[in-house]
Amino acid sequence: MAKSTPTEAHRVPRLGIQLENIRKHYGDHVVLDDVSLDVEPGTVTALIGPSGAGKSTFLRCINLLEQPDGGTIRVAGHTIEPGKNIAPKDLARLRSAVGMVFQSFNLFPHMTALKNISFPQQRVLGRSKDEADERAMQLLERVGLKDKAHQHPGRCSGGQQQRIAIARALALDPSIMLFDEPTSALDPEVGLEVLAVMRELAADGMTMVVVTHEMQFARDVSDTLVVMADCKIIEQGDPRAIMSDPQEARTRRFLRAVLER
Amino acid sequence: MNWLQQWAGYLPQMLSGLGVSLFIAAVAIVAGYPLGLLLSVMVQHRNLVIRTLGLAIVEIGRGAPALVILYLVYYGLPKFGIAFESIQAACIALVWNAAAYSSEIIRAGLQSVARGQTEAAYVLGLSGRDTFFRVIMPQGMRSAIPGLMGVAIQMFQGTSLAYAIAVPELMKSAYNIGSEDFNYLQIFTLAGICYAVISIPATWITVYFEKRMSRHA
Amino acid sequence: MDALLAVVQGLPMTLWLTLAAFAIGIVGAVPLSLALTSPIAPLRWAARLVVDLIRGVPIIVWLFLLKFGIHVGTFKFSPVNAAIVGLGVVSIAYLAEIYRGGIQAVPRGQLEASKALGLSGGTTFFGVVIPQAFRIVSPSIATYLVGLLKDSSIASTIIVSEMVFQSQSFARQHPTVEGILPYVIVGVIYIVLSLPVAFLSRRLDARMRKAIFA
Repeated sequence: MAKSTPTEAHRVPRLGIQLENIRKHYGDHVVLDDVSLDVEPGTVTALIGPSGAGKSTFLRCINLLEQPDGGTIRVAGHTIEPGKNIAPKDLARLRSAVGMVFQSFNLFPHMTALKNISFPQQRVLGRSKDEADERAMQLLERVGLKDKAHQHPGRCSGGQQQRIAIARALALDPSIMLFDEPTSALDPEVGLEVLAVMRELAADGMTMVVVTHEMQFARDVSDTLVVMADCKIIEQGDPRAIMSDPQEARTRRFLRAVLER
Repeated sequence: MNWLQQWAGYLPQMLSGLGVSLFIAAVAIVAGYPLGLLLSVMVQHRNLVIRTLGLAIVEIGRGAPALVILYLVYYGLPKFGIAFESIQAACIALVWNAAAYSSEIIRAGLQSVARGQTEAAYVLGLSGRDTFFRVIMPQGMRSAIPGLMGVAIQMFQGTSLAYAIAVPELMKSAYNIGSEDFNYLQIFTLAGICYAVISIPATWITVYFEKRMSRHA
Repeated sequence: MDALLAVVQGLPMTLWLTLAAFAIGIVGAVPLSLALTSPIAPLRWAARLVVDLIRGVPIIVWLFLLKFGIHVGTFKFSPVNAAIVGLGVVSIAYLAEIYRGGIQAVPRGQLEASKALGLSGGTTFFGVVIPQAFRIVSPSIATYLVGLLKDSSIASTIIVSEMVFQSQSFARQHPTVEGILPYVIVGVIYIVLSLPVAFLSRRLDARMRKAIFA
């Protein structure tokens, strides 16, 4: 089910991501070597590649969880040039416009599922408690976990925790969602619950960048497949085209290794 | 006359001493924990002056014997025109002690909170204040609880040092009784029992919490 | 300068108290820790009671009990001996608890592997468990030694002329501002003395790690 690029521009303003010449190193160790990427609003980009290729670091540069050493980032209408001081106000606006979902969920263990989703809305968007709780319940229903609202994360399965984490990110009405290996910590069948939620999100026209090892998800859902290896993007384009006929030897090797598993 | 009868006779005076000991320990804890939290933040502060000041207070509070701090407060500060009752001096010295020890425990607790928690708070756009007080602290303090209970026991036992500046606490009461009738063995045994009946169950409760926490970790 | 000299006069006694009590503790804690980890429940409980009782009573009480309370025939403890025995007994209890923690921290898999290899109980304990336990506890032991150094100051209350006692006598003779100087100096000396032990413990830890995992 290839997804058509949505044209309807109601709800949140549709703004994409442009990353230009992103460089990042830890000491002498280069992690990102001049990486550029364009993400059209309303599209899904899947980032694949062998571990250590720099996928996660690249993703984390988008919302400045990692500070790149050079390059330009344009996200959701904000332009950021690393190295220059960014006004905290701009940074806060950027962060609330970009939602992120982690491999290890990172729910707040001392808050119920509802509070996890409601609390940031109150503090970041200034919503009233009732308003935030109502929105939280809507989102919990959407990810199929209304009955878990008053449970603490420790009492939920990994798949449930990840769906709550997605709901928490969505509650801030982001225009872009980043996913950092969202199913890697989950059993395969539990991962499917999470992927189903992500498919729905993609179908609704959310701009998404997903670092993943789920090849089927990448093929079915993404509009653009980006293959990274050795700190660079080595190939990008239509997912089906790349998977059936990779142009680079490195891509071929990676795909063969993944698909044989 | 057997020991139990003698002990019964000593008990009223001993209990009033125990009351003073418990009072000092309570002050040390009630003031020491929040100050410890403050110090734990100071020693990680960006500002060099604040960090150094925090480190100095912590390192002296932990590095110098409690007895030395006690003397420093009791004999030292009056030389600069700040006069104390001996019991106030004991409270100040033990608060210092408690704050220094609990700051280390709280710092370790805060640092044990997974990095992902800070990252999650960051990507949600929570402010630094919310991240610390609403996300990191509630979790970090939880894992610090057994250690902080240990500090409380240590402080209760530490009140016995206030004997050295003539605070009428448990040890001083025992010594006074002993110097009247020279039954030192009986009276110090009774003093030991008084300390033990509080410290030992408190230790067991601490161990229970510790085990429970490690199970839920 | 006079203050420093006065305090330093007590340094040898402080070190003597600390090391003597530490020696008693290091050795005495061995049987007690074995009892604490014994498969025989009553023995384990008895050891637990002893450890908790010793630790539940403040050091100053132990010192007074020994110094003033023990009077058998013509025998009485001298202040120094009372301090060494008292601090030694307390050390036994604390160190036994540290040893126990170390023994129990050795992974179960090590015991199972030893059994699978057919090693005897003795070989398993002394050849497999103890070397690993020692690596685990050596930093805690060093930390305890620093604590003991500080606790030796309590001996001043039973008139042992260690550093704090010397500070007090100096202070009594100098009722001016100078009188507080020895307390400052003695505090600094304790902190300085604890530095090399802390350093050593870190080195020890690193060395042990290398020796075992190399």
